[in-house]
Amino acid sequence: MHNRMITATAVLALTAGMAMAEKSEITVWGWGVAASSLMATVEGFNALNPDITVNVEQMGYSQVKSRVLAACAAGGTGLPDVFQFQNVEMELITAQFPDCAADLAELGFGDDDAAKFPEFKMTALDTGDKIHGMPWDTGPVMMFYRRDFYENAGVDAASIVTWDDFIEAGKKVQAANDGVVMTNDNLNGGAEWFRMIANEQGCGYFTLDGESISINQPGCVAALDVLKTVVDEGLLTAGDFGERLQNSAAGAVATQMNGAWFEGSLRTNVPEDHAGKWGMYLMPTVAEGGPRAANVGGSLLAISNTSDNKEAAYKYIDYTLGTNEGQITMLREYGLVPSLLSALDDPYVAEPRDFWGGQTVWLDVLATLDDIVPAVGTPFFGDADQVMQATQIAYINGEFSTAQEALDDAARQISFNTGLPIAE
Amino acid sequence: MSTVSTQMTSQNAKRVRTRQQTDRFNSLLIHAVLVPVAILWLMPVYMMFIFASMGDSALFSPKILLLPGKEAWSNLVNLQADTAFLRTLFNSVVVGIVYTILSVTLTAMAGWALVRYQFYGKTVVTALILGTMTLPFFVVVIPQFIMIARDFGMANTWVALILPPLFNSLGVLFMRQAFSMLPKELFEAAQVEGVKEWQIFLYVALPLARPMIAALSIILFLHSWNNYLWPLLITNERSMMTAPVALGSLIGNTDISWGSIMMGASLLTAPMLAVFIFLQRHFMAGITAGAVK
Amino acid sequence: MRKRNLTAYGFLTPYLAIFAVFWFWPILYSFYLSFLSTRRLPWSWNPGMTWGRIYQDPAFFNALWNTLKILLIQVPVMIALATILAVLLNSRLLKARGLMRFAFFAPVVIGEAAYAAVFRLMFNAEFGIVNKTLGQMGIEGPNWFGHPDAAMAVIIIAVTWRWMGYNAIIILSGLQSIPEDVYEAAKLDNVSPRQQFLYITLPLLRPVILFCIVLSVIGSMQLFAEPFLITNQGGPGGATETLGLFLYRQGFLNLNFGYASAIAYTIAALAVAISALNLWVGRERE
Repeated sequence: MHNRMITATAVLALTAGMAMAEKSEITVWGWGVAASSLMATVEGFNALNPDITVNVEQMGYSQVKSRVLAACAAGGTGLPDVFQFQNVEMELITAQFPDCAADLAELGFGDDDAAKFPEFKMTALDTGDKIHGMPWDTGPVMMFYRRDFYENAGVDAASIVTWDDFIEAGKKVQAANDGVVMTNDNLNGGAEWFRMIANEQGCGYFTLDGESISINQPGCVAALDVLKTVVDEGLLTAGDFGERLQNSAAGAVATQMNGAWFEGSLRTNVPEDHAGKWGMYLMPTVAEGGPRAANVGGSLLAISNTSDNKEAAYKYIDYTLGTNEGQITMLREYGLVPSLLSALDDPYVAEPRDFWGGQTVWLDVLATLDDIVPAVGTPFFGDADQVMQATQIAYINGEFSTAQEALDDAARQISFNTGLPIAE
Repeated sequence: MSTVSTQMTSQNAKRVRTRQQTDRFNSLLIHAVLVPVAILWLMPVYMMFIFASMGDSALFSPKILLLPGKEAWSNLVNLQADTAFLRTLFNSVVVGIVYTILSVTLTAMAGWALVRYQFYGKTVVTALILGTMTLPFFVVVIPQFIMIARDFGMANTWVALILPPLFNSLGVLFMRQAFSMLPKELFEAAQVEGVKEWQIFLYVALPLARPMIAALSIILFLHSWNNYLWPLLITNERSMMTAPVALGSLIGNTDISWGSIMMGASLLTAPMLAVFIFLQRHFMAGITAGAVK
Repeated sequence: MRKRNLTAYGFLTPYLAIFAVFWFWPILYSFYLSFLSTRRLPWSWNPGMTWGRIYQDPAFFNALWNTLKILLIQVPVMIALATILAVLLNSRLLKARGLMRFAFFAPVVIGEAAYAAVFRLMFNAEFGIVNKTLGQMGIEGPNWFGHPDAAMAVIIIAVTWRWMGYNAIIILSGLQSIPEDVYEAAKLDNVSPRQQFLYITLPLLRPVILFCIVLSVIGSMQLFAEPFLITNQGGPGGATETLGLFLYRQGFLNLNFGYASAIAYTIAALAVAISALNLWVGRERE
């Protein structure tokens, strides 16, 4: 797989004869399969707007993040017309550089448009005076598992309801499959596992109003305990995003827990003979009967205020994110779960998928949407996440006697770094 | 007398013999230590060039491959497609050349002033230059960024890439050293003949200091060529990145093949290795002159 | 005299102008910034968020400790190796001198981004050449970037590889400036080569070695590209996060310019203090 700057010049050339409107060209920054999916929508977009050339620049996630932030700090110099950003991190931009993104309301994004998206996706984007971006995808958490590995161990995925079940299953899977580890987490460079389980348990770094710190509340404590137990049982090894994909492709891991957008990354990175071997099941929960839904990741597209082609850029993101056609294209090609509500009723989502062993995975994924508790980002998400990464490592290494103690310490640190109080 | 001298000769002969023996032993010892270490030290450079010619399958194979592969061209093509690497190499060349010329000019002028003239505030100026030598770049990086990027709106410009790194104390000390080694009488004679000061500098001093200027130029160019942090901060448009920044942006990106990254590293390294091999004398002079008090 | 002042400053002005704009003013501005809370607009006076935070921020102490580890382990090892290397390279018995010099001095011209890429690949746990070679010898290589100490070792190895030759060049020039007759006298007195090295060469090299130490200390205080690129932004879990990387993260990823300025000042103060200490130790016996 290589990054390719794709241009729609061919399409443009074909239709140039009939088009008399002014030609324009827009550049988009995105990462990973998200960028690939943007390239996939260009064809459909150009059928409607032949005069707009779309250049998608694909790079790594941290590249997009650091380059966008640097450009915003530089007053918008160097920004592309459209850029991707994570929802939870967007408030870093809206708080520090409120002029960096263009106001979508001025470009035609009305209240009726806002109503097309779930409320929790709009909160970070709508600062009252201005709309900073358009919601893209959501990341309902699923367990992506190797059916054959589970079968070898006689484990029925449907029977895994609690994290204790998961641990028992993990021991069996590892015993029955030589050289296979139950699961991976980005342990050394991120706190995704913790965040997913915490979110499932209704806990986040910050309270929903974003005004206080809630990282030491019971749901988070339970999440950290689950993580440590899984690690202590030898069922989880560390790996960054790329390594987790490599492990999956190499058949060295039985389960990956991630947002549903992982579907496309996984499917396009594993060898062809993996088709039919993978399946999905819901997240286990802490206590039987507990919630089994969470969200991780999810992005937006923003238009930069310095763009000379705001109109064209808006046309593009409105097609890509605001129409079923655009959103379903991305779901089909790269597994990005639309946050556009109407797209969820598209017939495509009800179809069984061969790669997933004939499972109607999208129905399963979307069924969790209603149960997802929103988590807020605040401008301090990065600070909190860094503290949490250090804390989870320290706790796993035995530097705290209880998870509560570890998270109390984390809460104090975050409070100190951000100036926010710890929630009662 | 004669007995004494024969005695001494035979003693000398013995000493020479034992000395030859110990020499041979020591030589063996030195080479036994240095040769393996030298090979080890060359390995990363060698591997860089070898890897640049390999595809992913060769790189990921469990075998240790020490000979070039056949994927060099496709690695280059992919690298170019991913980053417009040739453009960033061009940027690096332009930035390096302009920076070197400007920096040599500025530091030569300043070094000349410090050697040639007694003037009010000389100790203060010297102290400032010496004092900033131990200051890390970090102490100014944030204000520099805020000033250039936000206040001047000059991110992604040549000016932003070239101007801020121009200040360097080592260059001034280097040129001060260079000029102080030149005979003063020459300049005084020129002065008596009524030659203007800037003409003395331009037509007498600079040509005489040519070898030192060459050495400084190489060091400054190398510094600019390899500079990473500042260009990383100040460029976010692909077309204005320097080659190290473009290369760094690929590292850790799982979508990029390692062969392409190694190709980029090789393209970045090869010209400097050539400079090193062909201009070794100037190069060494440049590095060591900093150490001379 | 008046004319001399004008001429002198005529020559100095361009240089001083650059100094004033890009160093002097930023140093002052940075100091001011270090007292501001820059978390939300508008920036406000709040030293508690910067200076009040730094001395009790575990992440800062982690970065400081990592930097000190490199200072205390890497710098002495590298300087010792560089000294030995310089002495060996200076030996009249050495053959293939040009090749030797190339081997050890070539890393000096290789940029951070390039050598970081190579080291990251060579130390890859699964397909890196280091672990493949260890495997051939029957040793199971560690997961270099997954284990805190192993990752730190990679950084130390990489920095030593890159800078040893540079220091050896400087020490070599110091060696070559020692007059031959010093040794002639020693030989007449039957002083053994080892004693010559310990009692003549080393003391004479002292200022040069000290210079190398000061340079290396300042360099270590500024380590950024290596942990940023080789160990994936200071990983695993911050085990190789240096002060430089910590500053970058706070300044340019968390956009906390105020706190980053306080960190910058702390780094500068440490660099100056350690350099001064070195110089002081060096002057003591004279």
